[in-house]
This record gives sequence, structure tokens and C-alpha cells, in this order.
Amino acid sequence: MTGSIATGEIILVVGGGISGMTAALEAAECGKKVVLVEKSPTLGGRTALLYRYFPKLCHPACGLEINLRRLKGNRNVRVLTLAQVTAISGARGDYTATVKVAPRYVNDNCTACGDCERAVQAEIPNPYNYGLDQMKAAYLPHAMAYPQRYVLDPSIAGTEDGERAKSACKYGAVDLDMKEDTLEIRAGAVIWATGWEPYDAAKIQPYGYGLYANVITSVEFERLADPHGPTGGKIVRPSDGKEAKNIAFIQCAGSRDENHLRHCSRICCMASLKQSQYVREAYGAEGRSTIYYIDIRAIDRFEDFYQKVLKDPGVQFIKSKVANIVQDGKTGDVILHGVDTEGYHRYANSHDLAVLAIGMQPSVAAADIPAEVIADSSGFIEGALAGSGVFGAGCATNALDVNRAVQSSTAAALRAIQVVNRVARAEEAS
Amino acid sequence: MGNMTELNEQALAKYRNSFLHEVEERVEEGDWVKMCMQCGVCAGSCTFGPHWEHSPQKIFMMIRAGKREEVLRSDSMWMCTSCYNCVVRCPRKLPITQIMHGLAQYAHRLGVAPKMQPTRDLSLIFWNNCIKTGRVNELRFTLSLYFKDGLMAGIRQALSMQSIALALLMAKRLNPLEFFKGHECKDKAGIHRMLKKAQEIESRRQGAHK
Amino acid sequence: MSDMKTAAYLCTGCGIGERLSAAQLAKVAEREGKMHLVRQHAFLCSSGGVQLIRDDLEREGVTHLMIAACSRRAKTEAFHFPNTAMSRANLREGVIWSQPDTEEARETTQEMADDYVRMGCAEVKKMKLPAGNPDLGHARRLLVVGGGISGMTAALEASRAGYRALMVEKSGSLGGWAARLHKRTAFREPYTDPADTGVGEMIAALQSDPNIEIVLNASIAKTDGAPGRFKVEIAVESGSARTEDVGAIVQATGFSTYDAAKLPEFAYGKTPNVVDQAGLERLAREAGANPIRRPSDGGEVKSVVFVQCAGQRDDSGIHLPYCSGFCCATSIKQAMYFKDANPAVDTAVIYTDLRVPGNGEDFYRSAQSKGVTFTKGKVTGVEPGGNQCKVSFRDLILDEDTAISDVDLVVLATGQVPNSGVNIGDPEDAVADAEVKPISILNLSYRQGPDLPQLKYGFTDSHFICFPYETRRTGIYAAGPVRRPMDIAQATEDATGAALKGIQAMENAHAGRAAHPRSGDLSFPIVRLDGCTQCKRCTVECPFGAIDEDEKTYPVFNESRCRRCGTCMGACPVRVISFENYSVDTVGAQIKAVEVPDEFSEKPRILVLACENDAYPAIDMAGMQKNVYSAFVRVIPVRCLGSVNAIWITDALTCGYDGIMMMGCKHGDDYQCHFVKGSELASVRMSKIGDTLTQMSLETERVATYEVAITDMARVPRLIDEYAAVINKIGMSPLKGFA
Repeated sequence: MTGSIATGEIILVVGGGISGMTAALEAAECGKKVVLVEKSPTLGGRTALLYRYFPKLCHPACGLEINLRRLKGNRNVRVLTLAQVTAISGARGDYTATVKVAPRYVNDNCTACGDCERAVQAEIPNPYNYGLDQMKAAYLPHAMAYPQRYVLDPSIAGTEDGERAKSACKYGAVDLDMKEDTLEIRAGAVIWATGWEPYDAAKIQPYGYGLYANVITSVEFERLADPHGPTGGKIVRPSDGKEAKNIAFIQCAGSRDENHLRHCSRICCMASLKQSQYVREAYGAEGRSTIYYIDIRAIDRFEDFYQKVLKDPGVQFIKSKVANIVQDGKTGDVILHGVDTEGYHRYANSHDLAVLAIGMQPSVAAADIPAEVIADSSGFIEGALAGSGVFGAGCATNALDVNRAVQSSTAAALRAIQVVNRVARAEEAS
Repeated sequence: MGNMTELNEQALAKYRNSFLHEVEERVEEGDWVKMCMQCGVCAGSCTFGPHWEHSPQKIFMMIRAGKREEVLRSDSMWMCTSCYNCVVRCPRKLPITQIMHGLAQYAHRLGVAPKMQPTRDLSLIFWNNCIKTGRVNELRFTLSLYFKDGLMAGIRQALSMQSIALALLMAKRLNPLEFFKGHECKDKAGIHRMLKKAQEIESRRQGAHK
Repeated sequence: MSDMKTAAYLCTGCGIGERLSAAQLAKVAEREGKMHLVRQHAFLCSSGGVQLIRDDLEREGVTHLMIAACSRRAKTEAFHFPNTAMSRANLREGVIWSQPDTEEARETTQEMADDYVRMGCAEVKKMKLPAGNPDLGHARRLLVVGGGISGMTAALEASRAGYRALMVEKSGSLGGWAARLHKRTAFREPYTDPADTGVGEMIAALQSDPNIEIVLNASIAKTDGAPGRFKVEIAVESGSARTEDVGAIVQATGFSTYDAAKLPEFAYGKTPNVVDQAGLERLAREAGANPIRRPSDGGEVKSVVFVQCAGQRDDSGIHLPYCSGFCCATSIKQAMYFKDANPAVDTAVIYTDLRVPGNGEDFYRSAQSKGVTFTKGKVTGVEPGGNQCKVSFRDLILDEDTAISDVDLVVLATGQVPNSGVNIGDPEDAVADAEVKPISILNLSYRQGPDLPQLKYGFTDSHFICFPYETRRTGIYAAGPVRRPMDIAQATEDATGAALKGIQAMENAHAGRAAHPRSGDLSFPIVRLDGCTQCKRCTVECPFGAIDEDEKTYPVFNESRCRRCGTCMGACPVRVISFENYSVDTVGAQIKAVEVPDEFSEKPRILVLACENDAYPAIDMAGMQKNVYSAFVRVIPVRCLGSVNAIWITDALTCGYDGIMMMGCKHGDDYQCHFVKGSELASVRMSKIGDTLTQMSLETERVATYEVAITDMARVPRLIDEYAAVINKIGMSPLKGFA
């Protein structure tokens, strides 16, 4: 950051997923100074954990690469990872955010050579694969990770493994004495883009998630299909590694349900339609998907994709909210019970794998945001308070697909710019 | 007892809301029927599901479609065993069990409920049995159930249960003397007054329709 | 060139020093690369290493840097020398991490590294530091075309950020469709009731804003120029005309309703009691506080049926194939008009999928609790009879054909048709045959056509999921239903985003920077007109319509419209187009710098031209994952396959390369090329290279194109090895040693 600009002209963006990155970059490319704060060790957020996007079936990493290149080439954005905003004080045009930065135990000497990873023995569940596999406790989150710097899991700080990592590093990058740090960042406007998290599937008791290995969520299925996921892209079922060629996709797993999430999560229908094509990609004519739904919400131009999948002989649609799932102890197959409501047909369908199209909830409920915002009944940010300089962006504001999240973030960038430009004009006048 | 033909005339128009309004006004929890979004989780969750001609969600749709006679004459809602599986799973929180019983009771009051429907018979026998003394007399209840289809059928059924009855006797879980008198609740008259009052309230709520 | 001072820095960290002979690399840089300065460092990206470079820049007057270390995607913060021409030789991901650490592989690995050093040296010597776009434009006023919700939002939001806006509206009043609504759908908690449109307040805000000028009854007669310096001719209905300077444009021209007269099966036009949603809004506004009456006779409305997806989601090819997204919520809202006034009115919504995402679910629930009946079904026909209609449909739940009689009012949920002007892609005869001739909205004086290119079904949406504002005309952004069907809430958000993009385009034009995806790039295409043959390829192929033609059909570059992909450079048969830091020479020199062993060496050379957006990162990440591939490839990243000039192919072949792999993004309907047509153009151009190969007596296999995705970290090594096997099979190139 150059010292010459007033702190009130800085925009603080909280959350480094696609929404936060977009808001930060769009503002920075208008010439604004931005501080981007991300709580995990890497930018990219949840989209980095998707295999493909609907409806083009293109790869999220492609857009991430462009955004990272924009970021690398733009000195207006300062990125803080492993950092969380714990408090925001002040008012529009003059905020002070308290940011807690967790120790990475690796400094910027790191060249990402991977020697520490090879030296360390401990393994931890891999959060970038939703815990479906293990990774070393010294790790680079994923191939697209930015900053491209290793991380030591706090569990090995102060252990022999920590020392192993330290002595393996030729560049003095491992620093086991790093401590949590607290920073104060001053900014004129704040964009809150902390995104979403999947609803806890275990709460949908009749579906047996957590009880049956072959009941997984849609986000986990993304990792299974991804060549860089835990199975190297093989769609196999967790119980026995058998190829999962006959898959049930269950819509509204948590969404549109007053026992769980009141709102419709918008993306799940399209996500399942997309994932049915993964099954076809993997198994050709043998790949079969059944989509159990209440309403297929393939809004606007997405209808094309729905029509395409409708014509796919490998995909069957059943209008039904599945009543319950049991897993056959011997075969490992999951049996879905319910009623096809189009004409009342009772079924007990056997599948290799059941994928719950899991609902979206805000990662940080609006009530827990350390700044005042208007919340909706699902905990999303409905809007900014009058006179406030704190704006929501992306899935923190609503259940959105990537395209809409990016639009929302671009709009949020302008709202923040309106605040900082006013500060700038006041500075000029004074 | 109402006149079926006359009542049906009110509700002939399809998808006009006359029958829905009737259910909303006169059926216990009938007000919830409009809230169903046809997901079908109730239908799939029902333990007796395969025995229903129409599932709850379908009944709700039929009510909206104005299929008055088909709904009220159906034996479907008599199949409900009050397990509440559907209620806990319903994403719209409809009190489906109560609606089913409400519909059954309404049909019964209109006199259009299906005859010879075993669960309906059981319900009636149970009701008559328990309001008499304020307590359920299990022995008489069981026997009334056995003999509901005639003397010979009753004897046959009773004989087939002989060994169980004997075992219950040995375990002191069955007192044959109950057949003659049976014990009553402390304030039988109070119970009767209470039931009468409840019926009054109910008929007021139903707009005095019988 | 006399003031050029070159320096090469060889990093020996991350195992480079152990796996390669640094002395050999230094020798190559010095003797063959002719670098003035050659330095080695064990940890070049450290502060010490970076300081070493800085010192040389300052004290030694180094102007051109060649850094031989890790990939150009790594350590960008450390190796950031914005005022110096720089190339990077990828010895880590591109050599030691992608080659086996074995004694046998040592020689070929070293050769690979030597070549990359040669290439880096050759490239940087051909590079110049970009001076910045000379096509600066300093207009900072936003033109907003269309005065509906989207347009008004864009103008107001731009004004709030301190920018002036000029609004041109073709009708005599502001507000668009929204001004014709009785109410809008619920858009905030508790999402239970129709809400006021707020259009009146918005119009008032707009009219009282000193930053905003409004021109009504006007259209755009001509748009000239480029971001930062558009000249717009505004024709006012009264006959007057004026020319205005604007910096960027938001096109918010909205939609028309689908013509319900095309739905005779639903009796539209046969009885006034069948209306579309816009028609119902009109009835509601006319009724005001009174109940809505039956149009045919003013009779009381007791029963209303809403027909969803009327002329939409149609797979017969007759009506709209898409879903308009807003209509389910609109029907819910309109049913509430009746229920809120009189709960005794029967309202039935017949739908196949009820599409109310997000909190729309609460709106749906609210309608149900108000007694609106929802029926999953497909309407087959509407029959008028007297003052009432009969609506026949298939009830999909009860699985029967049925009908609702005595319906007083039928509302057809027809969709949105974008008002998008003339499409660049439409064949001229199709346009001539069209029933309704498209009328241009922007009347751009661009060589490639007068309006924004359309994507599908007439919408001008962006093709990119991650980048919804990537229209193909820099500085011109579509907003609202002209780019995708949408409701007011979404149009408001969309227009705010579009206003930001407009502002950004103006700031970029002001500073001479490129817009997305090469944001901030200061290079720009330079054309040497004295060599130009006026072949028009560049003007036709530019994906962004940046190049016009003058009266002698010479190309006229508008740098602020340009996105720096280099498609023009790839198209140019006489090679007169180049960028300062990316040119026919920078790549050509790299190709020629590679040492090609003779045909008896059993060491073929395969040139890989890889798109820097997807294919190159994939190759890079293959290295990061230690996925081994043939040591015979030499990879050169290119801005886009569209920038590949055929001369590079012929140069490589005449230099004795045995094969050329071109790796670009997927093309076709779901294209992933960031520059729209680059990879497709490359593949078309390469399909024609067969003749050249035959003339050179070469096998057609020697040039191959591939679609590569960024996730292909395992596939790319496989493709390379398979191709190397093909080359092995057809044998070494006969052209070795002639160059």
C-alpha cells in the first residue's frame, strides 16, 4: 500500500472465494486500493472445489487462473490469508476492522518445492476434499492455491513432525514460532463476501448421511468426479470402491423445508443435472442417473441444459421427495423409498450411490457478522442499513450460482466505490 | 347425516375451491390442505403406504380439484395409524395425521365413510368401548372386534387366539372377570359431561353441520 | 537497440542446481544468448536474490531481464519488475519437475533446460517495454440507453459514484415496464405480499440528480469511437439531433413481451378475458382500489386461472425455448391481487415446475396460505364461451385430462423477448427474410456491425460463467432483461454491476490499460501499414470488433476497444501486426533459438504452442504434480491460439522440428476460449495448413491441434507422449539442417 492515500479510500473485502476475489478485482481495476481477507490459507473458496460448472461444463479453475493472474498483476490488492475479521468499528467512510491472522508456520521464503511435505509424517483429513481423504500436515491446499505457499497444520507445531518440516526446508521458510497476530485495518467501506457452506446433511435423519457410507452430498460428489479429487476422478462408492454407475440424485436435501432450510438453494437442481453428465462422461451408456425432484428449477437460459438432460436416455426424472434411504448391509446398495407423485407410483429403488443435492446456507450467519446489516430469515444479508458502508456480496447475500454471485459482487464493488469516492472528494475539498 | 347428492351439487365445479373451503371450515386442521406442495414425502413415509388407494398428498390434490365424493368415500384416510412419520418429515409442516383423522371423522359424520372398512370398525368399537366407562376394557374390546363379522367368525377368531389368551392369563395380564363388569374411571359422569361439551364445541366450530 | 543491456539470472534452488549443470546454463546464456550479464543465485526469489537483480537494474543499467528459475506463474510477487522487459525460462515446473530424476534422463533434461535458457534470451531481446496505449480517451460520462429499471439504476448508481450519466430513452417517459406494473413481487422480508414498485421515487431521484441528463423520445443514430472517446449522435423524435461525448455505454434496452397472439390455442385475441401478464397489470392499474372486473362485460371475477410457461420452454421450435424466470413469481403476485382484495375469488396457477428460487419459496408459501391453488399440469387449450372460458389441462399429479369451467379471466404467463438490435452473427439473407427487421439500437460505426453481438435467442449475455459482463464490445455493457430474462430485483443488481464495468472501462481508457481478461496490460497492437495488403483478415477476425477500415480498406485500430489477444497478429499473412512485448519476432526468435539435433540423433524436437490461459497452466501443474512427459518438447506460451501466426509453423518446420502441437481452449457452442474465437480460428487456420505441409513434402501429422482444459494435468503429459510416439513412428523430419 502506498502511504499517500487516505485509509478511508481503502475497501476491505472479507472472503476470498469467487465473490470476494471478484469484488476486490473489479474495484482494484477501477483504481481503488483493496485489502482482501481470507480465513483459509488460499484464495479460490468453494468454486475451487468444483469439478465443472453448469451449464457449459467448463472448469472453475479456468476462471480462477484468470482471476489470479489479474491479482498477480494488480498492485492495488493486498491479500491476507488465514485471516479473520473479528470486529468492525467506526462508520461509513471510516471503519477499523480487527483482523486475527492465524500462524501459517511458513513465511514467504517458501518456494512451494514440497520438501516439508515429504518430510512430515502426520496426516490430517483433507478439507479440500471434504474430508474424503487424508493429506500431509504440511501441505499446499491444491494445485491452484494462491498464495502458492505451503501451510503447516497447527497440530504439528511443537511436535517432531514440525521439526522435520523445519529441517527439511532449505530456504528457512518454516517458522515454528509464528504466533497468532492481530491487525487493525482501516477502510472506508467493507464488502462482506464470506460465501456459503453446505447444510449439515446428518440433520436430515431419514437419509442416513453419516450412517450409510454410500449416501454422500453433492459437494462431495464434485470431488469424486474431479481428477484431482480423492479417487483421481473415479466415481466409486465409499463403502467398497465399487464403480457407481447407477446414481440417485436427491433434490431439496435440506432446502425448501421448514424443518431445515426455509429457502430454495437455487443451484441444486442445476448441479444435479450437471452431475448426471459426469456419470455419463465416466461410464457412457452404462452410466445411469435418477433425479428425484419436487420442481426442476432450471431458471432462464439454463432451461436449455435441462432440455438436453431430459433427452438423455441415461437420466430418469421422478417427481418425488424421497421419504427415506436404507443401505443394504450385504450389497452396499442404497434403497430409496418414496412415491412418484405424478400419478402415484410407489417405489423402492436400488442405486449404487445416493447423492444429496445439499442446500446452501451462509457461512457466517448475518447475525454473527461483526457489523450491522439487514438479515433475512435464512441468515443471508438482505441489504445494507441506510447510511452504512458495509455491503454483502455473493452467496453471503443469497443462494446464488456463480454467475449471479459474480454479478452481485460486481455491484457490491460499485457500492463500496461510491463510499470511498465520497471520502476522496471530501479529502480533495479539505 | 347429510344428503350426499345435495352436498355433491355444491362441489361439482372442478378446481373451484368449494370443496377446499368446505374442508377448511369443517375438517380438523383442514386449513392446512392448501399448504401442500405435492412433494410426496408423506406418501413415501407412510408405514401403511402400500395399502392406501390415495396417498395423503394425492388426497390434498383431489380436495383442491374438487373431487368431493371420491375423497370422502375413500378408505384411504382410515388407514392412518398415527405414526406421525409424515408429520415430522413434511417440509411444509402440515399436521397430516390430524388432517387424515379429521377427514375420516368428517366422512363418518356425513355417513359416506366406507362400510366394512376394518380400521373404521376398529375405531368405532374402540370409541364406543372407551366412552362407556371412561376406560378401555381390553377384553371386551378384543371380543367385540372378533365378533363384529358374526358369531361363527367370532368363535373362529377367538379360538385361533386361544394360546395367546392362555399365556396372558398365566402372566396375569388378562382378567376374565373384566368381561362382566370391568373397572371404571373414578368420575364416569364427569367424562361423559366432558365429551358432551367437546362435541358441542366441535359442532359449533363446524358451523352446526352434522 | 544500442541502449539495450541484457542480464540473465539463473536460480539453482528447488533442486535446479542438483539436477542441472548451472555452469552449462550460464555458458549458454552467455555465449549463445549473448547476455551482457549472467548471474547465478541459489535462492533467487529470496530478498537477497531480488535485491541482486534490483541492484543490477539500478547500477548496471540493465534494461532486459531473463530469469531462469520457476514457472512464470510462480513467484510473481518477487519477480515483479514493471519497468523492465522480462522473460522467464521455466526450469523448475517445465524441466526438472516434469522429467525423471534418473541418470539416463540427465542428458535430455539438460538439453531441455539449455533450450529454455536459449529461448528466454532470444525472447527478451525482441521485447520492448510497452509504452502504453496511445488511444487514450478521457470522457468520463456514462451513456445509458434505455430508461427502465435497469437503465435508471445504472445512471443513478454511476452518479452516486461521482460519474455523470446521459440517459437516452426512446419513449416519452421513464420507468419502462416497471412503470406499468400495479405492484412488484416481494423482494424483501417477509416476502409475503406484493410491494410498491418504487418507480415514481426512482424517476424523481433521477430527474433531480444534477449528474444525470435525460433525453426522452430519442434514439442513438450513430455511435463512433471507442471507450473513453465515444461520439454518440442522438436523434430526437422532434427532428433535432445532437452529438455527445461519452466514455462508456450501458445498454439497458429491456424486453418486449412474447406476442400472445401466437398462442391461438389459449384463445388470446378471441376473447378479452384472456390476457397476458402485462395485460393483467393494466387491468389491475385501471381498477386501482376497486376489484378487477371481467374485461368482456365488466362482470365480477370469481375465478382466475394462470397458465404458466405459455409459449415458453417450448421444444417444438415454434415458441420461446427458454424459461423467463420471473413469471412464476409474477403469477403468484397477480393471484394475490385477487386474493388480497377478495379471498372468495378462486385462483388457480397451473404450472409444470414452479420456479421461485431463494426466498421466493416464502412468497409461494404466502400465496398458498392466502388460498391460491397450485396445480402441476399442462394446459392444452382455452375455450371461450360467452363471458367465461374453459381451461383444459392435464393434471400431472392426478394423472388425468380435466378442465376448469366458468373461468372469468385467464392469464397467460408469456415470456420476455430481448430488445437487442442487429446481431453480428445473423446471415444477411435470414435478416432479409425475417418478418420483423431488426432495428439497430446503438448504430455502431464498427466494421463488424452496428450492435452488441448476441449470444443465444437474441440475448446479449456474456458467454462466461465467471465473467458475466464480458460483452464482446469493450466499454459497452448490456444490463437487465436484454441480456438474460430477469425480474426487477435481479435487473437492479445487474445494472449496478454494469455501471461499475462502464466506470472501469472509462478508467482503463483514461490510463491506456487493457480491459479484462488481460486487465492492466499496457501493450497494444502496432501495425506497420506500409506492408499491409488490405486483406481485411484482421478486421474480420478480431473477436472484439476493435479494428475498422478506412476508405482505402486499411485497418484502423481502436486500441481502447482491443483486448490484446493477438488474433489480428495471428491472422496477418504479411506479419505487419505486433505488440511491443509479444510479436511474430518474440515467438519466432524462441522457435529459432532451440537447438535442433540432426536426424540421426534420435532426439526429435516437438514445439508446443500453448494457450497461456488454460493449456500452459495445465502443463505447469502437470510439472507440479511430477507428471513426467517427453523431454523432446519445447513449450512456448501464447496469448491465445488465435495469435499464432502461420509463419511460426513454417519457421519451426524449416528449422527441422519434427512436430508441432497446438494446445488451445475448447471451441464450439460451449467454447471456453477467453477471446471468444481464438482457438476456433486457430483450428480453422491449421486445417488449411495441410497444403503447406504437402508442398514441403511433410506428413500432415506434423502439425496437430488439441483442445486442452486447465484441469488436464494428467492428460497433457499423455497427449505429449502419444504425439511423441506418432513422431517416432513417422520418423524424423527430412528438413533438418537446411535452415
